[in-house]
Amino acid sequence: MAGQSNHELSLFSAEELEFIAEDEIVDIVPNLKMGPLNFISGDFGPFTPQIVTQVPLWLAIALKKRGKCSIRPPLWMSVEKLSQVLEAERDSQEMSDQLPFHYVEISRLLFDHARDNIPDVYMVRSLIEDIRNVRFHKVETDLEAFNGRTIAVKIKNLSAMEVNIVRPFIGRALQAFYKHDSPELIPDPERVSDRRPQVVNNAPRRQLRR
Amino acid sequence: MKVRSVKLREAHGAIGGRASFCSVLWDQQANHLVTASSSDIAICIHDPLSPSLSPKILRHHRDGVTALALSPNSTCLASGSIDRSVKLYKFPGGEFERNITRFTLPIRSLAFNKSGSMVAAAGDDEGIKLINTFDGTITRVLKGHKGSVTGLAFDPNGEYLASMDSTGTVILWELQSGKIIHNLKGITPDTGLDISAVNVLCWSPDGETLAVPGLKNDVVMYDRDTAEKLFSLRGDHLQPICFLCWSPNGKYIATSGLDRQVLIWDVDRKQDIDRQKFEERVCCMAWKPTGNALAVVDVMGKYGIWDNVIPSSMKSPSEDIPVKYKSNGVLLFDEEDPENSASGSFSDIGENSNEELEPPSRKRLRKQSLSEENLIEEIELHPKVDSLKKRNRSSKENLDSGNMGFRGTMVTSKAKMQEAFQPGSIPVQPGKRRFLCYNMLGCITSVEHDGYSHIEIDFHDTGSTPRVPSMTDHFGFTMAALSEHGSVFANPCKGEKNMSTLMYRPFSSWANNSEWSMRFEGEEVKVVALGAAWVAAVTSFNYLRIFSESGLQKHVFSLDGPVLTASGFIEKLAVVTHASDCLSSNDQMLEFIVFNIPQGTRLLQGRLPISPGSSLNWFGFSEEGQLCSYDSKGVLRSYTSQFGGRWVPLFSASKEKSNENYWVTGLNASKLFCVVCKKPDHFPQVMPKPVLTPLSLSFPLASSDLGSETHENEFMMNNLHLFEIQRRMEEMASVGLDTTSLDDDAFNLEAAQDKCILRLIASCCNSDKLVRATELVKLLTLEKSMRGAIKLVTALKLPNLAERFSSILEERLLDEAKKAMETNIKENCVAPIKADAHSGIKAPTRSETLNAVTTMSSPKLSSPSFIRKEKTQEGGKAGINRTAMVNESMKGKQTGNETSDKMGKVGDIRQVEQTHPSYDPSTKSSDKNGLNKSDTSLGQSNRPSNPFLKSTIK
Repeated sequence: MAGQSNHELSLFSAEELEFIAEDEIVDIVPNLKMGPLNFISGDFGPFTPQIVTQVPLWLAIALKKRGKCSIRPPLWMSVEKLSQVLEAERDSQEMSDQLPFHYVEISRLLFDHARDNIPDVYMVRSLIEDIRNVRFHKVETDLEAFNGRTIAVKIKNLSAMEVNIVRPFIGRALQAFYKHDSPELIPDPERVSDRRPQVVNNAPRRQLRR
Repeated sequence: MKVRSVKLREAHGAIGGRASFCSVLWDQQANHLVTASSSDIAICIHDPLSPSLSPKILRHHRDGVTALALSPNSTCLASGSIDRSVKLYKFPGGEFERNITRFTLPIRSLAFNKSGSMVAAAGDDEGIKLINTFDGTITRVLKGHKGSVTGLAFDPNGEYLASMDSTGTVILWELQSGKIIHNLKGITPDTGLDISAVNVLCWSPDGETLAVPGLKNDVVMYDRDTAEKLFSLRGDHLQPICFLCWSPNGKYIATSGLDRQVLIWDVDRKQDIDRQKFEERVCCMAWKPTGNALAVVDVMGKYGIWDNVIPSSMKSPSEDIPVKYKSNGVLLFDEEDPENSASGSFSDIGENSNEELEPPSRKRLRKQSLSEENLIEEIELHPKVDSLKKRNRSSKENLDSGNMGFRGTMVTSKAKMQEAFQPGSIPVQPGKRRFLCYNMLGCITSVEHDGYSHIEIDFHDTGSTPRVPSMTDHFGFTMAALSEHGSVFANPCKGEKNMSTLMYRPFSSWANNSEWSMRFEGEEVKVVALGAAWVAAVTSFNYLRIFSESGLQKHVFSLDGPVLTASGFIEKLAVVTHASDCLSSNDQMLEFIVFNIPQGTRLLQGRLPISPGSSLNWFGFSEEGQLCSYDSKGVLRSYTSQFGGRWVPLFSASKEKSNENYWVTGLNASKLFCVVCKKPDHFPQVMPKPVLTPLSLSFPLASSDLGSETHENEFMMNNLHLFEIQRRMEEMASVGLDTTSLDDDAFNLEAAQDKCILRLIASCCNSDKLVRATELVKLLTLEKSMRGAIKLVTALKLPNLAERFSSILEERLLDEAKKAMETNIKENCVAPIKADAHSGIKAPTRSETLNAVTTMSSPKLSSPSFIRKEKTQEGGKAGINRTAMVNESMKGKQTGNETSDKMGKVGDIRQVEQTHPSYDPSTKSSDKNGLNKSDTSLGQSNRPSNPFLKSTIK
């Protein structure tokens, strides 16, 4: 439903979200000696071989591409932690707050560029996919509670990707409800109930991965 | 023993009378009995209370059902079939839920884990699939079996999965990682292709023992952790055992053999209690979870319930089911002793009383001696099991038993001299790669492969350093050292024909074949070290041999004692030797000596202190060339020339996290670089590549009443560094080198130190330690910071302290003025014109110092002048300082009520000050400055070289 909303409808493309997520800080183990780098966003480094430093993800990926560092996967990207999260997600209807805001993007970037640095890559990947699915499912069920009297939607701990997909849909849906609720605008109440399933079924599934 | 017959009922018709594998299961409440046959597509759910009723039949599979499993809470039934699917049903309703997985070949075995969240399924396919029962996702595929997997069993404690294949191999998997922990080949009969007789295995309910059919028609028990054979149950089976099953309380075991017998064993006494002969082979059994009964099913698909299996004189098989077993397995052996003696059958009271005193693992072994097992075998078994267990639990023990000549050993061995070692090496671990050398530059690793070793050299910085091809080593090098330019290796001598060899390998050379090696006859290399263009080796004859980079033998001389370790740093070589035998208190007596190799001089010599009862773990130079040592108690010491050359403790592992050990690799002036190892490990493994952690150096300071340890520590650290820099400056100056770069360092350090002292003063004031604060003020180097201190105490409302500080400042200024006067007089005499020629910054100095000359003539008055340190102060700020200083001196005078005297003596600068005669000492100096600024604007026109000019501009 929400997860299947149209590409044009979302605020950002997945690439744009990835770009935003690249500002997240990660730990790297450099294998070069280099002085600190002074950027507008701040100073990073100095880089000493085998000593962990914190850099933004984009820099980590740039260094990694040149073979100058290995990226340490964030703490939450371990099999144990993710299994815990998955369990927590399954247990309650609430979204858990244990994953970072950009977890989809970060994990995607790391799977693309730093595969060799992640222990149990396949397991981690499938766990994250599971978590993502479970969370999307929850969002969808949350949205089922929509009706004409809904004026706002509050879902805690949504991640960037989820929010991005869901937000335009919710906005439009609320707007539609509002419009159809006021009798002078639309006299026929049947169409309101027609509208929602249409969105569900017709929109093509959004592809995150290629 | 009385032979009773068990009445069997037909459940699954065997096609053409062919033997097929059948399974039987009880549910948790013993309300239902589930049977299936490999020649029947149906699964039957029987009601054991009314066997005449027709069973509920589930026909979902398209081929015979080979495996059944019930989730522990009996809400979910899983079945596996020759049709290659695994299906889930609701239980006891029997509604089909879904196919949770498919294989490419028939399924032979299924098992639920303890929580019911996972099903393991396996069969003729290659891998064992672990399937999540919630969503049917395959969490893991475990590959390692060569034959079809016929037995699966989750460890009741949830850590392991045991699996067994038809070729007789048992594998223990760790569920967490999916790794094989133990692979026991050929321990059970090879059943080949006979699918009606499958090998099974079974964990005892406490998870401490794994029962497996043995090769000698027996049941063999294996230990949970070590997979060592514990004991076996051998008795009256004439053919191999094809099925076995623990009673719910773990006291009994039921076994069924190919000889169509079913035997019931008392596990503790290793005795068979009862037996039953059947017409057909019994291929599956299940203990009733409640009560005293065993369900059996034979290969013809007939099932029956054997009631009252255990004689009433003994404990019921479902009695005393432990709710939660502890992993130490104590429960298994508790409480049965009175029962045994009460039953009177095999009483051994003496034995029992002994056993109670022994730890459970031993107990189990003692019990073994009762069985028919061969005594000698057990005696051999005994220590083996122990040692294996220990290895599993602590690697330190491993060190003790396994390896010679490395740190771990030395800690425990009593009053023995520590053996020679290379800094940054780890002990040999069979089959594993080890570090021969690890330093801040890179590492040399070696792994032994039948007969020869494989050596790799890796630099941490892969960009700017050469890539060194790995090499095959036929010598068996155990020592190595690494520098930017080359690496040196050495091996100990092993017998006659394998002499000790020293080999040097440069990384880049203009000539081919520039690596060289030396052999030592009857002598053994103990330690090697490497510096800039030299190689050092210390041998068993206590010879220190120095070679040049190209292999020229340059020096040989004797050392004072047997060598412990050595380290090189550019031109310096440091060697640690034993001064004498170990003291009875287990303290090592060590000496160190430092040479300058190119110059051929001795730089330092002395005792090397280490913590009492410890041994040396690391020895080397910091990045700045300071000599440092790290001992097994976790104390880092650095050599300083203070107090005529002392070792200063700079770091203590005991102050850090208690569950970590630190493996030192190097350090610089402020940080110690080490690999953090979780206890009990003392050293890291080569894989995964260890990551260095920088730790701050700190003195082991006493916890003071001040409560600001970090600043106190910083204060001492800065002092130490300042001292070192000054020493180096002196050294360089004496050689005639330029010291400006060090000068800058020193200045920065002084500034940092002042900042630190100011913080300390603040905390002293806060905790009312005024005397200490006053002492600290005296230690400030810059006038600016003293002024800051005064500001600080005035802000803290401590006027008397402010006054004291001001007088200290005054005193100091006076001193400086004296000095300045002397120098100035000299300067004036020598080059007055030159001084005048200086404009801007220089000019006010001159005028000020001249003032000083005039004021000095009056003994009553203090001097308003000072010397300016060119390095330390900028013109503008200096101006402010100057005005402030003048104010200070003003204050002194005004308290003396001699304003008129001043006027004449000091001159026009004073005039400006006159405008505010009533001066309050508690006013902040900044206020003073502000006032002065306005004042100076008046006086400015009078005198172009007025020192206040600067402050107004600012």
